[in-house]
Order: sequence, then C-alpha cells, then structure tokens
Amino acid sequence: MFRVVFSTALWRGVGGIALFVALWEAASLLKLPFLRFVPAPHLLFASVLETIQTPAYWTAVYISAKRVMIGYLIGVALGVPIGLAFGVSRAFKNVFFPVFETLRPIPPLAWVPLSILLWPTMEQTVISIIFLGSFFTVVINVLGGVETVDLRYVRAALSMGATRWQVFWRVVVPATSPSIFTGMAIAMGLTWEIVVAAEMVSSIGSGQTGLGAMMWQAYVGGVIPLIITAMVSIGLAGLLFSALIWQIGGFATRWRRLV
Amino acid sequence: MLRWVRSPRPYQLLLGFAIFLAIWHLATAVLEVPIFRKIPPPAVVLREWFNPEPFFGVSVYTSLYYSHIAYSVYRAYTAFALAVLLGVPLGILIGWDRTFHEYTFPLVETFRPIPPLSWVPLAILMLPGTEPPVIFVTFIAAFFATVLNTLLGVQSIDRSYFRAAQCLGFTRRDTLFHVVIPGAMPHVFIGLQIAMGLSWVALVAGEMIAGKRGLGYMIYDAYSMVQIPTIIMGMLTLGFLGFFSSAMVRYLGGKLMAWRSY
Repeated sequence: MFRVVFSTALWRGVGGIALFVALWEAASLLKLPFLRFVPAPHLLFASVLETIQTPAYWTAVYISAKRVMIGYLIGVALGVPIGLAFGVSRAFKNVFFPVFETLRPIPPLAWVPLSILLWPTMEQTVISIIFLGSFFTVVINVLGGVETVDLRYVRAALSMGATRWQVFWRVVVPATSPSIFTGMAIAMGLTWEIVVAAEMVSSIGSGQTGLGAMMWQAYVGGVIPLIITAMVSIGLAGLLFSALIWQIGGFATRWRRLV
Repeated sequence: MLRWVRSPRPYQLLLGFAIFLAIWHLATAVLEVPIFRKIPPPAVVLREWFNPEPFFGVSVYTSLYYSHIAYSVYRAYTAFALAVLLGVPLGILIGWDRTFHEYTFPLVETFRPIPPLSWVPLAILMLPGTEPPVIFVTFIAAFFATVLNTLLGVQSIDRSYFRAAQCLGFTRRDTLFHVVIPGAMPHVFIGLQIAMGLSWVALVAGEMIAGKRGLGYMIYDAYSMVQIPTIIMGMLTLGFLGFFSSAMVRYLGGKLMAWRSY
C-alpha cells in the first residue's frame, strides 16, 4: 500500500489525467468554439453527482443491464455449442461456416431495422441485437480456441482408448475453456456498446428508457452533462461486467494459474 | 485449385448456402411463419437487387447504390487511416518509453471503456457539418483497438532482443526501427483487423443516427419508408464490404511480414 502511494507511476498517471482536466477547464474558460456545448469539468462533476442520486438514472441502468444480460446469456448459450461444433466437426464447419462468415461482418446495428420488423416489441428487438453481437464474437473465439488445442493431447487420449465423446468432454472442452471465457469477456464489452446504439436507434416508442435512450433524450433536449454522465456510466458498466466475466473465467480455469 | 474442386468442400459450401436460402424461403414464402410475415423471400430481394428498374429506387444498376457505397467506404477508410496514423505511433511510444507510458496510459485507459457509439451525440454537438461526426465516431472505434494491440505487440517482444541490440551497440533509434517496430508488427496487424471490423460497426451506427448518405443511412431510410428488400440489400452489401476490408488488411499484413510465412 505504502509503495503504491509513493510510486512515481501512480503520480505520473494522476498527473496525466490532471493535466487533461486542467486543459479542458482552460479551454472552457477561453470559450473555444468546439467546446461551446461542453460544460467545464467542475460543472460537469457537480451535475454527475446530482444525476446519480435520482431514481430515474438507476432505473435506466437497470433496464439496460437487464437487456444486456438476457441477450448476452442467449448469445453465450447458443454460441459456445455452435463454436465447439464448428471446431470438432469438419463436415458441419464446411457446410455452415461460409454462411456464418457471410453474416458475421454485417454490423449488429445494421440488423436493427430488420429486427424491428421481425419482433413484435422493442424489448425483443434490442435483446435480439445484443444477442447477435455476443453470438458472433463468442462463436469465433470458441472456434479459435478449439483449433489451437494441441493435437497430441487428442492423439494421446485416443491411443489410450478414449471414445470420441470422452475426447470431447475431457480434452477439447477443458482445453478450449480459456478461449470460451476470453470470447465471453470480449462479447460482454461489446454488448454494452451495442445496447446504447440499439436503444438510441430504436428509442422512439420503446416503453422503457435504458441508458442509450436516456442519452438520446438528453441529446434531443440539449442536456449535455447528462449525455456525458450516460457515456461514462456505459463505459463503467461495460468495464465492471467484463471484469466480472474475467473473474468467473479465472476461477473456472484455475488450473492455469501460476501462483 | 483442381484439388479444391475435387474435394467435397465447394459442394459443402454450396450446400450450406442452399440450406440457408431454403430455410429463409420456406419461412417467408411457403410456411409464412407469423414473425417472418414482414420479411420478403430471398427471390424478392435478389430480384430487387439486380433489377434494372428497381421498385424502391436502389439496385446494382442505379448510381445511388454506388454513391452510398462510396460514402461509406470513404468514411470508414478515412477514419481507419487516421486511427492507424495516430494509433500505431502512440501505441509504440507507450509500449517503448516507460515515462511516456506512465504519463499517458492511465488517460488512455480512462477513455477506452467509453463505447465509440456513445460518442455520437457529443460528436454531433462538438464537430461541425455531417461528415466529421461520423468519421470521428468511426475513428474512436478503430483508434483504441489499434493503440492497445500495438502496445501489446511492443510488450510481447522478447526482452533478450533488446539486450542483444544493446550489446551490439544499437542506438535508441536503431532499436526502435530494427527491434521494436518489426517485433510489434504481428500484433499491430491483429489490432488493425479488429480495428477495421469495429470501424464498420461504428460507421453504421454513426450513419444511421447522424449521416446523410452511406449504407447505414440507406438502411435506415429504407426502414422508415418500409422498403424491406433494400434493407436486406444494404445489410449484405455491408457484410461484403466489411469482409473484404478485413481480408485486405490480412493480406497486406501477410505481405509486409513475409518473414513469418513458412
């Protein structure tokens, strides 16, 4: 603790951020034209403190988090088995992987209009977009993981009389699990990004206001501090949720720990 | 090539697409599954796409289609080029110089978690015109992926290379050009591929919300006018462009790092 407080790295880091805030404050004082809508840091800070004490803010966080979790869990639940299937079955991969690779580069947001037409409610639309974002990321990472499994392990297991089923559960799945969790963590970061945009694009008529819709309303109403509060909240939420997945992954694959 | 034709792979590939199109056709045209009732069958989309006189005004025969594509490509590549020009040197500096790392990296890490797409409203307010906000949002998406992967690349270089370079009397400048930059290259190109993918994602969001023209705008416009075949056309075009762009980065990386191929 003592060493952390007195390390130059920490103070230099704080210095870098402080310098940035100071420049921002100075730029506001000078009234630089591109900052004409952006409040000075001290005003912004006060308004952030005010916003996070309102229940509306926490409702928005909760609604976005709920959507993220549902879409993400469906994405993982389908993405992991399909990624594993691509990795272990050559026929399955040769048949369906090209289709998958044709759909994967379509940005999640480009699915929004079609999803609105497909699903009866806005809630389902947003969730399906989040699902798509996490699904493709998880599948690609799981597949990458299966392909890097050391073939010698598979051969060793087979030569000791393991069945294909045993090879799958005892060799392929454990060896792939680090990649599964990496994919899950990356997907989690991505879903928070997508939820904002999906909520912004489809905010009209959506009954419940998530962080993205809150941000869009703040934009329409010209409440800049609220926009920035929403931005920072989404960033923090993504960071926390991904950290949670990394933690779970670290615990689930704890044989990989060095110490 | 001949071997590929004789192997089962091309037929399996065709089978995969055939199954996909068959399910789509069955769900929309034959069975008329309720939730797909607004989605046109594949034949309708294809007919619109390759129609010399398109019903909804956009097809491969109209200049409007190409102008949307040109706008999207211009924005995505401008933002990507800016991200590479700024992100790679910054990543190398942060990875290579410890003092610079300590001063700037915490600041980078403060901004990195903020999703690029959530910059849209602020970008519209801060930047003039319609082009700069879209390009800025796309740039943000590509920039952080580039910086972070470049930094990882520098950090992954074997420490003994630096010692060897010092023993051989390399100056700092020599070390930079002969150890740091080539050593970081593989990670840089992984980063660039990710950045290219992310820039298309952000571009579409930016165009939908703030753009005039571009494929994201085309999709959103087609949505508001209920021109569903045009929506699907736009999606598939975006998919193709995204795939092509990433393949190009991968190809370029392979060319530039010929020493790694074996």
